[in-house]
Amino acid sequence: MLLLIFKRVLIAFFTVIAVILLSGILVHVVPGDPVTAMMAQSVSATPEAMAEMRARLGLDLPVWQQVLLYTWHVLQGDLGTSIRGNESVAWLFLQRLPNTFSLAVSGLVIALAIGLPLGFIAAINRGRLAETVVMVLAVLGVSIPAFWLGLILMQLFALELGWLPVAGSGWRNIVLPALTLGLTYCALVARMTRSALIEVLEEDYIRTARARGLREYQVLFVHALRPALISIVTVVGLVFAYLLGGQVIIENVFSWNGVGRLAVQAMLQRDYPMIQGFIVVFATSVVVVSMLIDILYGFLDPRMRKS
Amino acid sequence: MTDTSAPLASRRRLPVSILIGTGLAVVIVAAAVLAPSLIPFDPMRMAAGPRLAAPSFDHLFGTDEFGRDLFSRVLTGGRLSLGIGLTAVVSGLAIGGLIGLVAAFAGRLVEATLLRIIDVLYSFPDTLIALALVAFLGPGIENATLAIAISLVPFYARVTYGLAAAERAKPYVEAAKLAGIHTGRLVRVHVMPNIGQSLVVMGTLGFSSAILSAAGLSFLGLGVQPPSPEWGAILASGRNYINKAPWILIFPGVAICLTVLSFNLIGDSLRDLVDPRRKDRS
Amino acid sequence: MTSSGNPYLTVRDLTVSFQGKGGEFHAVDRIGFELDRGEILALVGESGSGKSMTSLAVMRLLPQAARMSGRITIAGDDVASLPRRQMEDVRGARIGMVFQEPMTSLNPVLTIARQMTEGLIRHQGLSRKAALAAARSALDDVGFGEPDRVLSQYPHQLSGGMRQRVMIAAALALRPGILIADEPTTALDVTVQAQVLDLLVDLKSRLGSGILLITHDIGVVAETADRVAVMRHGRIVETGATDAVLRNPTHDYTKALLASHLTVEKALGLRPAEKGAPSRS
Repeated sequence: MLLLIFKRVLIAFFTVIAVILLSGILVHVVPGDPVTAMMAQSVSATPEAMAEMRARLGLDLPVWQQVLLYTWHVLQGDLGTSIRGNESVAWLFLQRLPNTFSLAVSGLVIALAIGLPLGFIAAINRGRLAETVVMVLAVLGVSIPAFWLGLILMQLFALELGWLPVAGSGWRNIVLPALTLGLTYCALVARMTRSALIEVLEEDYIRTARARGLREYQVLFVHALRPALISIVTVVGLVFAYLLGGQVIIENVFSWNGVGRLAVQAMLQRDYPMIQGFIVVFATSVVVVSMLIDILYGFLDPRMRKS
Repeated sequence: MTDTSAPLASRRRLPVSILIGTGLAVVIVAAAVLAPSLIPFDPMRMAAGPRLAAPSFDHLFGTDEFGRDLFSRVLTGGRLSLGIGLTAVVSGLAIGGLIGLVAAFAGRLVEATLLRIIDVLYSFPDTLIALALVAFLGPGIENATLAIAISLVPFYARVTYGLAAAERAKPYVEAAKLAGIHTGRLVRVHVMPNIGQSLVVMGTLGFSSAILSAAGLSFLGLGVQPPSPEWGAILASGRNYINKAPWILIFPGVAICLTVLSFNLIGDSLRDLVDPRRKDRS
Repeated sequence: MTSSGNPYLTVRDLTVSFQGKGGEFHAVDRIGFELDRGEILALVGESGSGKSMTSLAVMRLLPQAARMSGRITIAGDDVASLPRRQMEDVRGARIGMVFQEPMTSLNPVLTIARQMTEGLIRHQGLSRKAALAAARSALDDVGFGEPDRVLSQYPHQLSGGMRQRVMIAAALALRPGILIADEPTTALDVTVQAQVLDLLVDLKSRLGSGILLITHDIGVVAETADRVAVMRHGRIVETGATDAVLRNPTHDYTKALLASHLTVEKALGLRPAEKGAPSRS
């Protein structure tokens, strides 16, 4: 088990390094000179200013040196300085991280709270109306763009009914974006829960439990749900990653002061250090979450735990 | 109690979802292809009607903040969205398919290395990959399409690898190898025809996600730029009039939903047909 | 309840059918038999002869696609017409079942203790502590030297033979009138097979349960069963006391079964099941 954790941490570490290297390289893949692109909209784009910026970004060094230097800095927690505000990229992201995290977790909780029961209901009602209804809802759910759902919810609950604020970052403001994320990703959770549970319900040990004369709810909630939940845990990691991806847009819809909103502003302004920082921060979150999930899985499944 | 009646039930339901999906897709594709002769107004023409007019007989979907006809814009936007989706899927499938085939047939070391890389990339959501790439490439329709195509590569590589690896184990491949047929020729002549059909099916699965990514990027201002009538771009400008003119939000949004839904329905059902083992796993 | 004189389990005119492509397919075709406590009845036949469907019908655990007609009574109750919750009371308590696949028939994420005590708590209303004690003595009955260690383990930590003994212990701890053993030895090593069979015979005489032994192995029948019913294509083609049937088979199929078995025996030069007490683990 310790070995398993060690291996998993090592893989995660190297993945993060690869991502950092990649985001270091990507700047140089950009067609044209990044400095020209960055300063295109700026009035102070004098040749001197551009040369000064090149030197500041280390763009006068050979590419491989720049990439390694960038990686080295990132590993020390230095993501560079933003071009627009001239602030520490790491600090800018760090400030917004709690906002992003609280929204992601609230969204995930809602997605699970809706998706798990729906998937469960679908699985135990195979071939019946209830399953069809859930599956139709699920395919509708994965077909609606999150940002559009967000706009519709905003129109309904904030503008028409006036129950909730339109945008901002107070605690009441989290309701709508979290609900949007939750509703969007509960479909994914429901589908995965259903298939995990269906798989378990076909196992021999379910028949054994029934032959033992257990009440049907005992069969479902103890013998079927427990093993199903263990495989659902891995799904949660996947859903969380997707949710983080969708969150970038949702933060912008609701002007939620998180990493995603900051990142899109940076993208529109072509602030490369910020963009690189965003990729490193987001990719690391995805990698760390999936690593934690894998380790958690190891603890939950007795077959993994004792080996 | 192994429930053997349920697969029967889903087999019965299958044609219905394919039917709805295909029907929707035909209407959507037809509307997009025929858009130039269907639309009453030039989608870019300002003041084709009053500003922010509600849907009426003259303007079926109403008008936007510049008085442009929304019906014409949404239909024309379909050409953009479907075009981006198709280009991205075809190029993504080509690149990913090639990588998958190489992984399956180029020997142990290449296989292990490629699989590891594909798996890592696959753990990142495709919207996030597209977003990151567009951030570097810069906004615009070509860059967005390229970014979306690349974001689909891990998925297609994985699928192709899976199909090719299954094919690799079959006796005829072994026989062809013994007969001394070159690997490249073996893959081209023997393997590709056998997995081609499944690959096309998987292509439809990527299509809906490509459309969603395109709309999302344009909505953020990172994809197709206004005044082009891409659905996500229309929504981005329409959100400022959410209260005064909700139809600017409703029609393009419904268009996205129906397009994505139709291809999801087709993809899901086809996948079940091609791979019955996965029927119940979604 | 059991009216005295009536066998504990009776099966009359049992038919199990499936709707197939070419019309109805009869997995079990109008069979009947009875079984009382303290005796072993073997249902023997090749795979697909309807043995397992018969046992699932008795448990009312048939796949939903299956259709059943005929009458099955357990201790006087008609299985088909019992409400679901009452059927749950019958299963395990009056009629237990041990399945063919010891590797997959135990829940991998629950401890043996949990899986052995849940039936006791449910049917006999025992406290967790009392149930644990009962489970411990049941494991002792099937030859586990260290019941406590087994109780704390998960299925994957046990061998196939150990799991099958756990399954038997879990079923017998509930003191069912009848235990259905569906190919209990097929998935096991030859040496372990003998142990498990001896265990069943031993438990029958000590606990007085009746055993419905489902098998394809006529050697197993000879070793253990009091009576035998030979099944083929969903029908019982021959039935009677084991000695009589095996010594004087009247049906061609029974003869063929015996002949094939003897050939195997001769070819290998050994007896199919070796005698020996279950070893203490």
